[in-house]
Amino acid sequence: MLPDELLTILNDQYPCRELQLRQLAALYAPSLPSPSAVVAHGLEATGKSSIIKDFLKSSRIPHAIVDSRECITGRHLLERTASAVDALQNFGDGELNAPLHSRTENISALAVHLHRLLEGAGRFVLVFDGIDRQREAPPTLLPALARFGEVIPNLSIIFIIQVPSPRLLHSPGVPHIFFAPYTRDQAIRILSTDPPSIFLELPSPSAEYTDDLAAEDNAWLWTRFLGVVWDSLAKGAARDIVSFRSVALKLWRPFVQPIVDGTFGTRDFSRLMVHRRTLFQSEAALLDSIIPKDPVSTATARSAAKNTTHDLPYYSKYLLCAAYLASYNPARQDPIYFMKATDKRRRKRGGGTALSRSKNRKIPRHLLTPSPFPLERLLAIFRAIVPHAVPQSADIYTQIATLASLRLLLRSGVGGGDALDASCKWRVNFGWDFVTGLGRSVGFEVAEFLAGGGE
Amino acid sequence: MEHQKCYLFKPQGGRPAKRRRLNNSDLPSSWPLREATYNELWATQEKRIKDVLSEVNRTTTGEITSFVSASATESRTSAYKIPTGLVVAGPSIASHRTLFEHLGREIVAQTRSAFVLLTSAECPNLKTLLKNLIKNATARSTEEDEDDEVAGNASQKGPKLLTYDLQLLYLWFRIQDLDQLVVAFQDSEAFDGSLLGEAIELLRFWSDRTPFVLLFGIATTVETFENKLPRAAKRCIEGQKFDVTQADEILERVLHAAIDGDDVPLRLGPALSTQLLDRQKDHVQSVDAFVEGLKYAYMSHFYANPLSLLLRKDLKFEQMSGDDFEAVRNLGSFRELAERLLDNGEAALVRSLLDSDAALFNYTRGQLDEGQLKVSSMVGALETLNVLRGCFPKMPVIPLSSLYVRAVSGELNGSPAVRELLISVKKASSDIFIQILDSLLAWTPEDAQSIVCSLRERLAALMESNEDCSTPLRSEHDLRNETLRTTVVAQKVELSKQKSALSKRDAAYSKLVDECHSRLEAYFAEMFINPQEIFLHEIFLYDLKSPHKDAFTPRPRYAVERALSAPQDYLGCDCCRPAAGNDGTESTLSSTQPATTIMYQLYLESGSLINVSDLWSAFQAIMGDDDDEQGLTMALFQRALAELRCLGLIKSSRKKTDHVAKLAWKGL
Repeated sequence: MLPDELLTILNDQYPCRELQLRQLAALYAPSLPSPSAVVAHGLEATGKSSIIKDFLKSSRIPHAIVDSRECITGRHLLERTASAVDALQNFGDGELNAPLHSRTENISALAVHLHRLLEGAGRFVLVFDGIDRQREAPPTLLPALARFGEVIPNLSIIFIIQVPSPRLLHSPGVPHIFFAPYTRDQAIRILSTDPPSIFLELPSPSAEYTDDLAAEDNAWLWTRFLGVVWDSLAKGAARDIVSFRSVALKLWRPFVQPIVDGTFGTRDFSRLMVHRRTLFQSEAALLDSIIPKDPVSTATARSAAKNTTHDLPYYSKYLLCAAYLASYNPARQDPIYFMKATDKRRRKRGGGTALSRSKNRKIPRHLLTPSPFPLERLLAIFRAIVPHAVPQSADIYTQIATLASLRLLLRSGVGGGDALDASCKWRVNFGWDFVTGLGRSVGFEVAEFLAGGGE
Repeated sequence: MEHQKCYLFKPQGGRPAKRRRLNNSDLPSSWPLREATYNELWATQEKRIKDVLSEVNRTTTGEITSFVSASATESRTSAYKIPTGLVVAGPSIASHRTLFEHLGREIVAQTRSAFVLLTSAECPNLKTLLKNLIKNATARSTEEDEDDEVAGNASQKGPKLLTYDLQLLYLWFRIQDLDQLVVAFQDSEAFDGSLLGEAIELLRFWSDRTPFVLLFGIATTVETFENKLPRAAKRCIEGQKFDVTQADEILERVLHAAIDGDDVPLRLGPALSTQLLDRQKDHVQSVDAFVEGLKYAYMSHFYANPLSLLLRKDLKFEQMSGDDFEAVRNLGSFRELAERLLDNGEAALVRSLLDSDAALFNYTRGQLDEGQLKVSSMVGALETLNVLRGCFPKMPVIPLSSLYVRAVSGELNGSPAVRELLISVKKASSDIFIQILDSLLAWTPEDAQSIVCSLRERLAALMESNEDCSTPLRSEHDLRNETLRTTVVAQKVELSKQKSALSKRDAAYSKLVDECHSRLEAYFAEMFINPQEIFLHEIFLYDLKSPHKDAFTPRPRYAVERALSAPQDYLGCDCCRPAAGNDGTESTLSSTQPATTIMYQLYLESGSLINVSDLWSAFQAIMGDDDDEQGLTMALFQRALAELRCLGLIKSSRKKTDHVAKLAWKGL
């Protein structure tokens, strides 16, 4: 296939990427030698991987793509690279390459393997997708891979990364292809190629409203709708094409609901806009949630869900309150708040030196990170705040262990490994709202015991 | 003491004497029979409870299973999200394991999927998580299908793969005849948020080849779980929430299974059931713990009480020994019975019961059945009470557990719960009254059916004569039939209630209601007797708290503290006893006590930082300052200090030189 025809097809498939495709075509022109390393960079969802994949595929350059997201360790990446190249080469000449069944333990081994595999073969392109996000990558991985082209003359490597640093590959003169983020018009143009339909099923199968008409209406409304979504929400919070599309799709059904109900016609865009403006004012559509929520009726759904909450045992709630107090009250003020026989001192609570108080109170305590406390202090506060005597049974410790495995309490600090060590420190892992609700359910007002009053 | 990791305890001369009590010669001969009785009776009881438990979770399990099978048909487009079930299972994490294992079996049996269960303990990082995922999935198949050669071939084709490579899972999955792979994270709270996020993203990446379904066990709330996940991971999954039946509801149903029915041999007494139920509410929400408590009650009753033999239905006279009959005669309830009989002038019966074992045997058999019947009909009456209360929409629902506790302690007769119901019945309008009669028909024993039926028929006749059916009939006690009248007498306003004139039909209806009311009142008064007054209640009601306390709520810290502060109780020697003038409440220090306990007393008296030199001089003063033995005293001192450190009470402190820091306070 001629490169020009190829480019036209790819341009149709990937709108707004002419420049990048021309650069690729120039770098990998069949008549010219290709560079040993190329960096393709650009932010998330700018079409890097798919364009390069489709370009290589349709220009019939032998290539292998290794996706770093699938590789758990650096070693894993090397193994996969070797086996990917191996599979491809063997597929070509049909004979089994026995030595490769040995392990590819480090980069040098990979270089040797590749060298042997690609010896005498034609041009070969190896694509490392997302290699900057490789887990447990050795520090020399990128520069070493960039030098493979020097050792293996017919190998060309493409690195697909998000943001390149100036000295990423430790070698000068590597061509970079920049995939710029899409602008507003580009994004809308790309998404408007595939409009969703207004009517899930056509209102009446009469001849008046045909499929063609419906498709035309869909496209007309969808394009305008996309513009509104971009200006109101996506511009600030969902600029890449994938999240833009997901936000738009999330809002689409509630947006066109009045049309489906028959309140408005399909072309009453401005009236529809005014009617459904709340959709674009709330930011509910931007929040990701595992359970799909209707952006209109979140409030009612939430109140319904409250009915079936599982309750913690009575003493667990007090333990959590005590843990919160232990985390957010300074230890030296414990006698003021929790000792039962110090009425005189308690009255002096407002006193102290005015200077230090005002300094301390600049930031409300509950906005700071919780400070670690020893378990002994938690138990002491627990006994002080529970209104009646608690037996010293093992059930209390069981509950602490349960709360720890629920990650409501965390072990922290140096003694973190051993829970039996008395010097082990603990920390709470929940916030002010949670603990007030918890305290109120057992009739305990946390704010009364919190230094600074919890305002 | 710390040069070795562990020490092997080799006891010399067999077990201590107090453990041998069971082998004493005077062990009741009925022991094997009682054990057999226990095994039989508990087996039936356990089966009932198990049936209830599997019934309880059936709806949730069914929902999840159908969700899994529905997700198999979903198309996998580029915007595909992994179908995910969030199983909100409540904070009793001990029961999650059973739930998920049950779920796994159901899913494998009913859908074409494989099921892998992951827990946080075995997945500290991504690599181990994947290793375990692959291992668990593939191991399952080789056990069941025995086609390991195919799996072996598949992995030998290419180069050998790393153990955490999901390619392995894919290769395995390809040769299985399965729709999808269900991965369940049992305790998702305990997983690290970022680890979970990475795993989800990775699985999402592979889900175009291996279709996954994820299940997360959640103990707190869905919101907490969502907040913990990274945003990118949240975008990869989509699904719905499944609520597991709440622990207290399951508890009610298990309790119901444990007390309801004529064939329940043994029931829990008031004190013990209060203790067990309070423990559930206050400490652990675990149905398993409750069932264990019930089992322990059965065990301790049958193993420790020779009279439990009487609960055996096919008991013969010869199987009981003379001692057993003596024991019956010594029961508190026997004495009460004897007094009652004597008051009624039945001295001959009492005499024969005291003299003849055979007469006593026959009499107790009859009385035991009667007593058990009384208690089981009392439980039946509880349900009637609850159902009737349910007919009135405004009446708060009282759980069966609290009603049972009140009933079994004999407090229910004339209690507010019953009174409130009876008053409401009096005031009920005819539409509610029909409901009441209908539910009574369903719940009353057969002998009372005819009464209810006749009431029902009379009401139906009355309703028919009522032309305008829109307004229900009202009884004379209904507030709407009363008017308040104000009169001014001697410049004071008087309020007086005035019954408005009743229509003829309403009057007839009122008669009906009054009859029902008085019958119900009599019924409840008859049913809600105090079970502790029934003869032989010691045999069919088990109400000992202390065995349960010892077995289920140990107090390790209290035990250590007590042993250290009162060694004389444990050592049983005279030398450590407190001085004669002291009545034992205040612990005194003397040189004869073990060195560690002396040190512990000194430790309790000091502040949070202890000067070791001061401690030494105090210790020396107690041990007696004999210059010759100073070396020995020093050795004791050092050992005591080391033991305190070994117990975790002190540690060396960097805050002050020559000081140790106090780590534990007494009584926490």
